[in-house]
Amino acid sequence: MVKENTFSFFLGCIMPNRYPQIESATRFVMKKLGFTLMEMERATCCPAPGVFRSFDKSDWMVAAARNIAIAEKNDADILTVCNGCFGTLIDVNKHLKSDPEMAAKVNEKLKEMGDYQWKGTIRVRHIAEILGFEVGPTEIQKYIVRKAEARAAVHYGCHLLKPSRIRQLASPEIPTFLEEYVEALGVKSVDFAQKLTCCGAGGGVLSFDKNTSMKILKEKLGHMQAANPDFIFDTCPFCQLQFDGGQTTVNEIYGTNFDIPVIHMSQLTAWCMGMDMEKIGLQYQAHGKDYQFKELKEPMEKVSIKEKSIEGAG
Amino acid sequence: MTESEISIKRKYKKLEDFDPQFFENIARRSNIFSCIQCGTCTASCESGRWTAIRTRQIVRKAALGDLSVLEDPDIWLCTTCYNCYERCPRDVRPTDVIIDLRNYASEIGNMSPNHTAVVGYLRSTGHAVPINDKIIRQREALGLDPIPPTLYKYRDEENSEIIPFHKLFRVVERGKEYKERKANSRKNLDGFEKLS
Repeated sequence: MVKENTFSFFLGCIMPNRYPQIESATRFVMKKLGFTLMEMERATCCPAPGVFRSFDKSDWMVAAARNIAIAEKNDADILTVCNGCFGTLIDVNKHLKSDPEMAAKVNEKLKEMGDYQWKGTIRVRHIAEILGFEVGPTEIQKYIVRKAEARAAVHYGCHLLKPSRIRQLASPEIPTFLEEYVEALGVKSVDFAQKLTCCGAGGGVLSFDKNTSMKILKEKLGHMQAANPDFIFDTCPFCQLQFDGGQTTVNEIYGTNFDIPVIHMSQLTAWCMGMDMEKIGLQYQAHGKDYQFKELKEPMEKVSIKEKSIEGAG
Repeated sequence: MTESEISIKRKYKKLEDFDPQFFENIARRSNIFSCIQCGTCTASCESGRWTAIRTRQIVRKAALGDLSVLEDPDIWLCTTCYNCYERCPRDVRPTDVIIDLRNYASEIGNMSPNHTAVVGYLRSTGHAVPINDKIIRQREALGLDPIPPTLYKYRDEENSEIIPFHKLFRVVERGKEYKERKANSRKNLDGFEKLS
């Protein structure tokens, strides 16, 4: 039986090694929500679905199955905060569950990697799924101490929702759960053109052809800027790397002056739960170093009025 | 058709250039032969709006056995956004087709040096994006362990599990060897198939 309210915290690469503020925010949020996070010792890169899957699918599966096997030893579902890690781990986990022949092959190879066996006993979860659905926009009100007054450009990222037959989270064409979630934290989600397009970093394109990647990003940033957001809201450190570091590159190449803060779901939630602005870590990021969340006034009253009217109606 | 294009095509006309497993694998993992060439994939392609990648053509070439597609750098411009995969009315899963083509292109040595460098990072650190001193200080300031408890932290222990990682993604070496072997055998063909 898999442990309840407990997760094996999968770190991946970009979060611990480029945006550690997302890691500390995630640990803070999950603790406040009453979840236990177990470490996944000796875990590695997921490996990234762009480069590694493109090179050799079977080696990619072996390395991913090794990570899943570490979580199985913890007897707790995997929690990831990255769309890429989510993509690799859930793809491989579900594929192996449906293909016993492949699972046997992978397990044979896993023996060379150490004392590992993939058994298929756990699930792979993304923090957007936990906060957006499991806790949900209503329940989260019990845990937050303040709301943020801001306008956010919400970016889902491709691999959170697609392929939808494997993710089974929300519609890949008109998802709404992140908007509902940020609005529950006081933030207004702004509409912008081509909202669901890719950030341009995936599939190994960022390292293969940076110019193409920056073209896609520049268009996306332009659409976001037009809606005048206070920050970009994402659920993936790789998208965050692209938006944050990419703004500098786009400005260099095209002479633009994009300067939009980029904030991960864990960072915003942690602030609403009382984490200090300094620990949210925007000062470490390339853009929006001085951005401060503004507290939304009288948010709690609105909620209580709503509840009263529901009671009255009943 | 330019001369170099013709010579690329000719390169795949001999029996030994084909791997019978190749089409079997692609057909098994996708519905490539269901493709009706409607072009929904190309129309949905985010990368294709900026580059020459034409997903419909890639699927057509793969289905017809025109392996010149493996020499085509365009297959590496897919951002795997899965729009085509979601919208295909025949359930062809073009993203999976492109990934399979990339696997095969890697086997014959068509890899970007930037990508092979990432494999090097994985083998030596267990991460595609390794940690650095600046981040170590930043982690300390945030109250985190300076080095996360991933394999990198344990890389120097006895019988470290990083060692088997050196054997992963040998496709990089296999691809290079294939390219060299091909280059050598081509020299013997009186320069007829000289490639640009």
